Amino acid sequence: MLEIKGLHASIEGKEILKGIDFSVKAGEIHAIMGPNGSGKSTLSAVLAGRDHFDVTAGEVMYEGFDLLKLSPEDRARNGIFLGFQYPVEIPGVSNVNFMKTAINEKRKHMNLPPLTAAEFLKLMREKMEVVEMDKSFSSRGVNVGFSGGEKKRNEIFQMAMLEPKLAILDETDSGLDIDALRIVAAGVNKLKKPDNAFIIITHYQRLLDYIVPDIVHILYDGRIIKTAGKELALEVESRGYDWLINP
Amino acid sequence: MAEKYTYSPEIPEVFRCRVPLHGTRQAFLMNGKLREEEGEDSLLKIEAGSPLGFNLNVTKGTILPDSLQIITVRDSENTEPISYTNNLSFGAMSESNILLCSHTLSMDEFKTDSEMNINVYEGARVNIVVMQNEHNRSLHKVRFNVNLAKDSYIRINIVSLHGGMLENEIEARLTGEGATCELNGIYLVDGTQEIHTTVNMHHLVPRCTSRQLFKGILDDESKALFFGKIKVSQDAQKTEAYQANHNLLLSRKAKVYAQPQLEIYADDVKCSHGATSGRLDEMALFYMRSRGIGAEEAKILQQLAFVYAVLEKIYNEELRQRLLDLVEARLRGEFGHCTNCSMNCC
Repeated sequence: MLEIKGLHASIEGKEILKGIDFSVKAGEIHAIMGPNGSGKSTLSAVLAGRDHFDVTAGEVMYEGFDLLKLSPEDRARNGIFLGFQYPVEIPGVSNVNFMKTAINEKRKHMNLPPLTAAEFLKLMREKMEVVEMDKSFSSRGVNVGFSGGEKKRNEIFQMAMLEPKLAILDETDSGLDIDALRIVAAGVNKLKKPDNAFIIITHYQRLLDYIVPDIVHILYDGRIIKTAGKELALEVESRGYDWLINP
Repeated sequence: MAEKYTYSPEIPEVFRCRVPLHGTRQAFLMNGKLREEEGEDSLLKIEAGSPLGFNLNVTKGTILPDSLQIITVRDSENTEPISYTNNLSFGAMSESNILLCSHTLSMDEFKTDSEMNINVYEGARVNIVVMQNEHNRSLHKVRFNVNLAKDSYIRINIVSLHGGMLENEIEARLTGEGATCELNGIYLVDGTQEIHTTVNMHHLVPRCTSRQLFKGILDDESKALFFGKIKVSQDAQKTEAYQANHNLLLSRKAKVYAQPQLEIYADDVKCSHGATSGRLDEMALFYMRSRGIGAEEAKILQQLAFVYAVLEKIYNEELRQRLLDLVEARLRGEFGHCTNCSMNCC
């Protein structure tokens, strides 16, 4: 599904990603762990198409085409989803209208007619249940006045609405209490299918108690320094990163 | 309610204004001259001023069930510069909702200078929405002189959609204890349009409140000036006065001059002011695009979100929606083909 080869990226001349290689197959859950400043968020932003970063070398193939050539909106319409570490507040744009616009832009791209109001509301209700969202939420402005936990649940809700093929969740667990964490993880597990994949970026092993990864990568100083199975996360939890950084 | 709808036959046919407020009573001010058919409605007295303008008198204790809309129109019948004064008087304990629209209906150059004397007597409540939609060759200056008596309340929302040179000057005097004055405005300018907003908020007595929120979106080489002063007199203890002016610049050549000022002579007051200017938020745009919303659409959504805080203060939900639609059409650039537009052609 996704193949990253020798990916280098920099911001304002400062190199952050210094050669990333890995690939993701349908049905897999990958976890990317690493200390602060190792480039985890940069990697997710580059994959989603934020033009703030310059890709200086390497390639990213997604479903057989060159992902880096696509605009962020075209990546999203083709099934890429980025769950933000800090979801943005958009006062004046209600969650309903935001999602309606997003869904219909995607459908337009797929040559499908827009959803009728009834179809849309039904879908919205279904997906709100996935993350145990209160009804009043739909008329509120996107993320406006939401607590940290509600913002993250909203990310998972949006993911459920858009049904991406590849979801990248950037520190979705940061700032969550245990209940919110459980709801977010349950949402991910419900949405997991043989034909989609997840890249979970996280600081702590905690989230991985609930979402079991197939593959764990350790990112440090812009490079993946270790890749292994789910047991690597546990090892990092007990031993820290030092033994990997200074072997 | 249709029988209450007044429509002067002399109004050019291109003009249609159907603000969807049931029972809205309309009066027209054509090049400064009041045209209104005599209605049965005696709750409200609106008379022609001499020689131009109008006088509106809402008598003591009257609660107007419906909105009054006064549509100011300039057209080719009189292309001379005109100036006039309108007097609006809101008697004690009365309640009124007023919509003031201004339009230009022919492509002539217009110069309009108007004065709006607004007296709000004890305990009266007044909502005024001003909608300005004029073409690029129009120069329109409106000076609002607002006097607020004890426990009275006024809220003025100014929506400046389009106009070559619009100048709104508001002189508000809080002269009775417990009075509240709320002023809100949005302005949308592009091309070489220019808008000036001047506010002098004068707290003369104790325990009054004033709030101001003005937001503008500027594109191309447009210009906006905001001069806002809050003056709190020595006696005006327990004053609460707030002012904010925020601007969104879409182009490098657009310019904003903001000058907020506080002049405080009392010592027990809560006052704040602030002015900002900024660009579209790159992070928010990326957030929307990462959900599949196109770059252009994301920009429009962000602009709408920016002005929403002002529009949500409009008292009537139908009117608020109507104005929101007009703002959206304006931001989408759908005003270009109808510069002598009325409310309804876009």
